[in-house]
Amino acid sequence: MNTFMRWAGFVVVLFIAAPLVIVVPMSFSNASSLQFPPPGYWLGYYRAYFTSVDWLIPTWNSILIATATTILTMALVVPATFALVRHKFRGKGFADLMMLMPMAVPHIVMAVGYYSYFGDLGLVHSHLGVILAHTCLSVPIAFLVLSANLKGFDRNLERAAQSLGASPAKTFLHVTLPILRPGLVISSLFAFIQSFDETVVAIFISGRDAETLPRKMFDSIRQEADPVIAVISTLLFFVVLIGIAAPYFASALRSRAPKPSRPAGAH
Amino acid sequence: MTGMKTFLMPDRRRFLKTAGAAITASLAAPYVVRAQERILYVNTWGGPWEAAAKTHLIDPFTAETGIQVKTVSPVSFAKLAQQVKTGTYEFDVTTLGGGELVRANQAGIIEDLKEPYKGGLFENGVASHAFATVMAWRTDKYKETPKTWADFWNVEKFPGGRSLQRYASRVIPIALLADGVAVKDLYPLDVDRAFKSLDKIKKHIRVWWTAGAQSTQILRDGEVDMIGIWHGRYFEAEKAGAPVAMTWNQGEIERAYWVVAKKTPNLENARKFVEFATSAKPLAGFSKAADYGALNPASNQFVTAEDAKRMPTSPDNYKLTFEQNMANFGIDPAELAERFEEWVAS
Amino acid sequence: MGMSLSKLTEKTNIWPWLLLAPLGIYMLIFFVVPLAEVAIMSFTEPKVSLANYQKVLTGALYQRVFLNTFMTAAFVTLCCLLVGYPLAYLMAHSKPRTAMLILLLVTMSFWTSFLVRTYSWMVLLGNNGPLIAFLQMMGVDKPPQLLFTRFSSTLAMVHILAPYMIMNIYTVMKKIDPALIRSAESLGARGWSLFRHVYLPLTAPGIANGSVLVFVICLGFYVTPVLLGSPREQMIAGLIGHQIEEFLAFGLGSAMAIILLVVTLIILTIYHRRFGLDKLWG
Repeated sequence: MNTFMRWAGFVVVLFIAAPLVIVVPMSFSNASSLQFPPPGYWLGYYRAYFTSVDWLIPTWNSILIATATTILTMALVVPATFALVRHKFRGKGFADLMMLMPMAVPHIVMAVGYYSYFGDLGLVHSHLGVILAHTCLSVPIAFLVLSANLKGFDRNLERAAQSLGASPAKTFLHVTLPILRPGLVISSLFAFIQSFDETVVAIFISGRDAETLPRKMFDSIRQEADPVIAVISTLLFFVVLIGIAAPYFASALRSRAPKPSRPAGAH
Repeated sequence: MTGMKTFLMPDRRRFLKTAGAAITASLAAPYVVRAQERILYVNTWGGPWEAAAKTHLIDPFTAETGIQVKTVSPVSFAKLAQQVKTGTYEFDVTTLGGGELVRANQAGIIEDLKEPYKGGLFENGVASHAFATVMAWRTDKYKETPKTWADFWNVEKFPGGRSLQRYASRVIPIALLADGVAVKDLYPLDVDRAFKSLDKIKKHIRVWWTAGAQSTQILRDGEVDMIGIWHGRYFEAEKAGAPVAMTWNQGEIERAYWVVAKKTPNLENARKFVEFATSAKPLAGFSKAADYGALNPASNQFVTAEDAKRMPTSPDNYKLTFEQNMANFGIDPAELAERFEEWVAS
Repeated sequence: MGMSLSKLTEKTNIWPWLLLAPLGIYMLIFFVVPLAEVAIMSFTEPKVSLANYQKVLTGALYQRVFLNTFMTAAFVTLCCLLVGYPLAYLMAHSKPRTAMLILLLVTMSFWTSFLVRTYSWMVLLGNNGPLIAFLQMMGVDKPPQLLFTRFSSTLAMVHILAPYMIMNIYTVMKKIDPALIRSAESLGARGWSLFRHVYLPLTAPGIANGSVLVFVICLGFYVTPVLLGSPREQMIAGLIGHQIEEFLAFGLGSAMAIILLVVTLIILTIYHRRFGLDKLWG
């Protein structure tokens, strides 16, 4: 049983890894088609990506929209999370559930709604429209991360600060926020990624002027399988790799390094 | 180790500065573009189509009138209808085939236009050029040469994956020809018979292509072995060095029309563009570049016999082909499109 | 002399509402209203009637697409389980270093945009791709068409959704007390029977969690089936998109969307009653 599971496990590793890795050699291919192994290698499609307004503008749009979405999401979610985690009131269960609802509704359903609703409001094809929609979709994930953090928060620290004479505002600023910082950073990051990767709603509402990168990629894959997609995929692959590996790597470095022994008199 | 540290954590101030610049640029980009007075947006099929239009229609138009033009692709009938509904315009001018033109004019989603040259106006679209849907195939797959749409349907003799455009009014006549209907008896279309014929090929159609570039890609990459494809797109696959061949025989000629989106804020400039794009010399240049047959007779003086060889309208090619007859179509194209879509999905 | 923060937060009742208000209003305007608009359109477009629902619930095409969507989602869930279980097991029972590497890989996959992964499968399964080349090398004369079939879209969806399953099962496996297994062994349980009667039941909550999540996401999947699948085997989301983009059939599309929504919510409600919705993603 054990051996069987292990072998099956290794086959699955291959299944998971292959599609992640294959885009890297593809991005250096000089073929105009989806040929693998590539007939030759060059950097032409990298040049094409970094010089083409058709790709750079959607990239910028995506970064811009994701950034604005993150800010808006956090501005709304942080106070709400405090309310929901630290207070008991009637209707709290319902409010908790509502926070998660956008995650439960299939994106295609929201896309239909936004397409029609934002059409009426004149918000389709605008950055603002996409930001407003993405914020809704980012709320649940930001809330989940943040509320988990806040639940684990030791409130005695705040009480201690206040007993030492700190005002509530000061306590919040100098005690609560710094302790919550990792949680805030991670939930912002999740909100950002949620928006940056969101495809279905963007396909329907981002239009000509606010075209996001996923929408552009979707259109391009559907129409012509443009090899530039391999370049973007590779870049995204490395962004994710660095993002995930960096913390591991840093902690590995730290644990392997000899304990800093400060020579006497060095300070 | 210090080197590694700076690699992982770049100097924060420099990072913020670059990020700031990028955000400002991206914030500004769309508005810089929008601020330029009233850009005309033209909807195109992308790829070589757009390249030819840019050189011969768009750039000369801008040079002559000073009106900036940008392009959006691909052509989408639904977008045209949608933007009239919402009042948010993605493009002002687009190009339609005959079937869609009739649908669009019925639905009242295109502006009235004037006839720019004699016989040039049909259902509020200005006739621009003729293109053909032809049969093409992989020569590495078939030793024998398929000749007719009946061969396309003959999967015993020519086994392999097929592809056609997901476009009802273009596919139906082809299905009838494959079923043995003679060209002279095609119109009005016997739609029921056409669907029976389509039933036979259905499970071999691996891709219903929806964009020109996609048809080139799947033929070039061998994702399908035989395809009904626009002649211009076929030449592109040939130019890319793919082992492919085509025949003009039973090629289906259609006319492409320029139309203007109803109630566009750019109406005057849009009309100007359509007039310019169908005037003798620009149209001739465009047609030569993209191998289309110009429909404005005045353009022919600029087209040599040599140029015309790869055009569907050259005498040698034209006699092998047939032309779509929208006037005697036999069914409402909108109704046909709906039935076809249900059929495709089932 | 400020009132202490704790007093403020515990005694006064207006605070939570003040803190909740901005988000509440926002969600009302940009979440509830658009959803309501979908519901309204399903009854009113093009005219007030139940015609859209009648068409969607009785039309052969729609019934087939709904059925296909369910079968696909169920099949994908099963495949994710078959793929995810051994991998989670490998992670939970390997040396820390191996386990961490696999965890890294799964996390990578999870965070890689599913458009990228969809594109990768296009490369892998294409006629000029490595899989076909491999088959030809093995002497398969006429390799089957892989791309643009039910096979390709299913495979890609399994790949995209497997991390959800793996993470859920892994978390549960990690918590299993090895002493429990040892004591079962000392009582004579071995091999298959140990697995079936001890290990599998212990991991059941993870399986349930992962399956619900995968199934529900798969029901509403749009991008991958549209890009990799065949139009004959559309899923419901793809058909909704097509109705709206090609035919502007907002009423019909909305009716399908509402049915999809209701089904999803029913599944999640059952889940919520038993386990609590916040457990699902966390």
